[in-house]
Amino acid sequence: MEITTETHSHHISQQFNNELEDLKTHLLAMGGLVEKQVQDAIYALTEGDSAVAEEVRANDRNINEMQIRIDEECTRILARRQPAASDLRLVMAVTRATSDLERIGDEASKIARHAIQLAEEGEPPRGYIETRHIGNHVRNMVKDALTAFARFDTDLALKVAQEDKAVDLEYRSAMRALVTFMMEDPRSISRVLNIIWVLRALERIGDHADNIAEYVIYLVKGMDVRHSSPETIEQRLSND
Amino acid sequence: MEAQAENKVTEAPVATGAQTQDPANNATGSSMTDTQNVTGSQGKPAAHETKSHSIDISSMNRGEGSSLSLEQETTCLDVRNMDLFYGEKQALFDVNMTIPKQRVTAFIGPSGCGKSTLLRSLNRMNDLVDGCRITGEINMEGQNIYQKNVDVAELRRRVGMVFQKPNPFPKSIYENVAYGLRIQGINKKRTLDEAVEWALRSAALWDEVKDRLHESALGMSGGQQQRLVIARTIAVKPEVLLLDEPASALDPISTLKIEELIYELKDKFTIAIVTHNMQQAARVSDYTAFMYMGNLIEFGNTDMLFTNPKEKKTEDYITGRYG
Amino acid sequence: MRESLGNWTKSGSPWIWLNAGAVAISVIMVIGLLALIAVRGLGHFWPASIMEADVRELNGNSFHLVGEKVETVSVPVEQIRAAGIEIDTDQELVDRHLIKIGNRDVHGTDFRWVLEDFIEEVRYPENLIAVERHEWGNFYGYLLALKEKDKTVAVQAAGENSIWPEFKKRVDRAVEIHDEIYQIEKHEIGRINYAIERLRLKERRLEIDGENTPENLAELNAERSVLNAEYEVLQQQLADLYTAANRDSFVARAMNGQEIEVSLSKVVRVYQPNRMDILDKMGFYSAKLWEFASDDPREANTEGGIFPAIFGTVMMVLLMSVLVTPFGVIAAVYLREYAKQGFTTRMIRIAVNNLAGVPSVVYGVFGLGFFIYFLGGNIDQLFFPEALPAPTFGTPGLMWASLTLALLTVPVVIVATEEGLARIPRSVREGSLALGATKAETLWRVVLPMASPAMMTGVILAVARAAGEVAPLMLVGVVKLAPSLPLDGNYPFIHLDQKFMHLGFHIYDVGFQSPNVEAARPLVYATALLLVIVIALLNFSAVAIRNHLREKYKSLEM
Repeated sequence: MEITTETHSHHISQQFNNELEDLKTHLLAMGGLVEKQVQDAIYALTEGDSAVAEEVRANDRNINEMQIRIDEECTRILARRQPAASDLRLVMAVTRATSDLERIGDEASKIARHAIQLAEEGEPPRGYIETRHIGNHVRNMVKDALTAFARFDTDLALKVAQEDKAVDLEYRSAMRALVTFMMEDPRSISRVLNIIWVLRALERIGDHADNIAEYVIYLVKGMDVRHSSPETIEQRLSND
Repeated sequence: MEAQAENKVTEAPVATGAQTQDPANNATGSSMTDTQNVTGSQGKPAAHETKSHSIDISSMNRGEGSSLSLEQETTCLDVRNMDLFYGEKQALFDVNMTIPKQRVTAFIGPSGCGKSTLLRSLNRMNDLVDGCRITGEINMEGQNIYQKNVDVAELRRRVGMVFQKPNPFPKSIYENVAYGLRIQGINKKRTLDEAVEWALRSAALWDEVKDRLHESALGMSGGQQQRLVIARTIAVKPEVLLLDEPASALDPISTLKIEELIYELKDKFTIAIVTHNMQQAARVSDYTAFMYMGNLIEFGNTDMLFTNPKEKKTEDYITGRYG
Repeated sequence: MRESLGNWTKSGSPWIWLNAGAVAISVIMVIGLLALIAVRGLGHFWPASIMEADVRELNGNSFHLVGEKVETVSVPVEQIRAAGIEIDTDQELVDRHLIKIGNRDVHGTDFRWVLEDFIEEVRYPENLIAVERHEWGNFYGYLLALKEKDKTVAVQAAGENSIWPEFKKRVDRAVEIHDEIYQIEKHEIGRINYAIERLRLKERRLEIDGENTPENLAELNAERSVLNAEYEVLQQQLADLYTAANRDSFVARAMNGQEIEVSLSKVVRVYQPNRMDILDKMGFYSAKLWEFASDDPREANTEGGIFPAIFGTVMMVLLMSVLVTPFGVIAAVYLREYAKQGFTTRMIRIAVNNLAGVPSVVYGVFGLGFFIYFLGGNIDQLFFPEALPAPTFGTPGLMWASLTLALLTVPVVIVATEEGLARIPRSVREGSLALGATKAETLWRVVLPMASPAMMTGVILAVARAAGEVAPLMLVGVVKLAPSLPLDGNYPFIHLDQKFMHLGFHIYDVGFQSPNVEAARPLVYATALLLVIVIALLNFSAVAIRNHLREKYKSLEM
């Protein structure tokens, strides 16, 4: 059965309602923080602002703590409420999503680390345009995935899954461009490699956003769409 | 007014949802199921699979239930278009379902939804209620148990029942278990001894009571009494075991023992259990039927029903939003 | 601080006091009742001292008085004077004693009222004897001589005690002979008479059936001649015993100086109460009590025991229980388990409950009209034509009395059983049915055993009611003196057609129909006490059975 955002607030136990609402709110708060981390990391990279990058690295600890807290909440709900059906799926989706969000945080932190290195080396290297482009793209994916979670919106989640495909394509073409560049100018290899690591991190963030989107579909529709192509997902969603 | 409207809305899905699960639904509903069936590990681990040092993947799939589907089951009891009336009041509305053989089928639903009534009509216990009238049929091995020429006592011997409160007779433990056999005219001591021991062992009670078989059954604890009642019921070797909230009057540990017992008994018997405790239904059953106001709302694989029910009423009930 | 009255009322204390008071009053009344009948009844058997005194009335009459003081009452002087007795006193009340003087053959009366003021010189001579006799009541006086076959064998002066041991010995012999005579008359001759009567009935039967062939008759005659021969032997024995018994007699002087001679065969026991110490008296007392509980009545029920009445009461109550239990239980089972609950069953229940309120004498009339005249008459026509016109079952008897009482108490059993059946938890029945038992099997194996304590409660109530009934019994079978017990060694052992004695009726008879009121009054109390004890025992045994069942079928407290 499909659920809506309203579903979880009609529980007979007001206490349970609150707990589920809190869980969702906390996850979205964590998501918001992660999203900001990604944004800040990309900003630090492209603007060469190592102060912001340091801030991003410092904030990663907060994200880790949030993950632990949210996981604790989930464990508590499982133990004390024995949730079933959509409640169970919500808790499962939240635990999985926190794990992905935490990874996104890690990737952002990684980007920030590279941003600091790049900033220390001075002049902006090649590939910043692609980085900014892909960065904005995955940032939007993260945002959309979280919005889809907040609204139980499977259409938006499907869109995120499709975006991931596009990001992969962009990533691959950016890689080709950077490899070409390295071959042209072997002196810049170490700097470009940093960019490649950043791009790689961004691509991972996209994958994690895709995962979160899949959890949203699991949460809302009760179907497990992991490891399926966006086309399959789209087909199954339209069948339902 | 509202209730009636709801009934009308739900009547249609009952028919489709319960008996003939839409294949498309089924396929999309459980991709896990499908993949597992492909690997074909249910029951018989594939021989050609190479052993790896890491975890044996097939062992993960061996867990029962996830790949159960009603189409593959042998039918034990087949309920067809059953309506039940208490006097003028209709208690069951056009119920259609099959109770699969040697599986545990749980009935859940709010109080007064008719789940006990349905259970009790499976061995015609409702005959005892004045003004109870039934239309439609319940088939057991192709015979309608509500036909006129059916011997009700014989039917009840084949379809045993355990009730909510432990109801041992005020006799000794031994005589309680032997009761059903004595009714059948079996009085040979050796036969009785063997049957009593078998039944008590099957009910996981033998070790606790073997030294006091001839003491009164009323001196036992509630949980023991309930297991005694189960032993008494299985002593006559019925085909079907109906359990009407068998653990609702027991403490959690006794409840677990009963649940364990149900798990062990399902190899030999077809079990139908009514319970108020949803977690219990989730724990013990292979199939679950959700009933609401005399209608069978949803009937299917327990794993599906408790993770992703199809009907909103089911979802609302099992998540606690029923109101 | 003092509690206000309002608070006291609110606290519920007055209510508790009221309840406790009610219970206390009930207990006191029950204990008082028991104590009254126990004291009045049991005192009767105590061997009172015999007093000897001279009575000198103011009008010049004077006489010698020997007897037991039974009772003393205070009477207003006016009343005495109004009765025409002169009395010289300035007190308003005078004591008047009731003296049991015995010797009814001499004085024509057993008791005499004597005013305290007229009594002079009370003394308790040790050598006074009291003789309990089979007829004419007790004798009090001085032993003078013993005679054997009209020859004096021992003599003593009045007031001496020298021949007492000899007297005692001869009395013991006479009592022994008397017992033997009783044994022969009651049992052996009774048995032969019964057999001869049966032969007569057999002959009559053959006659009616047209089978009085010479062979058959000869057979009967042969049997009869055997019995007659036996009878002759016994008759001879009896004659010998009577001669032996009548051998001795004693001569004694009564209080008015008259010397009388009494045959020892008439003596029950002799004793010298003034000589007895407390131990002797206690021994005597228990012997008397035992006689009361185990012996046949004598002297229009004013002497001897009341065993046949006890036996009849118990027998009738047991028979009633045996009749009423299955009947009531079956009716209750049908009403509760099988009958369709509706208007009809409700009407039947109301009728049954009303039946419990019908006065018992109405049942007696019904029993007489329906059971005895109709049923009994027909039974006689069908099965006992040989005895006609003498009725067998067409006359009041044990069976009809039991049946009438069973009818009287059946509502109690029905109601109690129904109540018990209703209390059996539904779950237990369902448990049995779910095992494949039919309704009848469930009833028989589970429900009825579990309801048995309730049935016993019904029987207890029935017994309590039945044992206390007298009125209907007078119409359907109880008599003041039954010649034999309804249970004996003669085939068919239980004689359901016989009339029997009953403690309740015995009380009524002794208390209100006796020719000798003074002698009977203590017996009324003693019999009442015994009736209470018998009923209590019957009830206690039923309660014990019920408690046993209750323990066994301790219903599932759920």
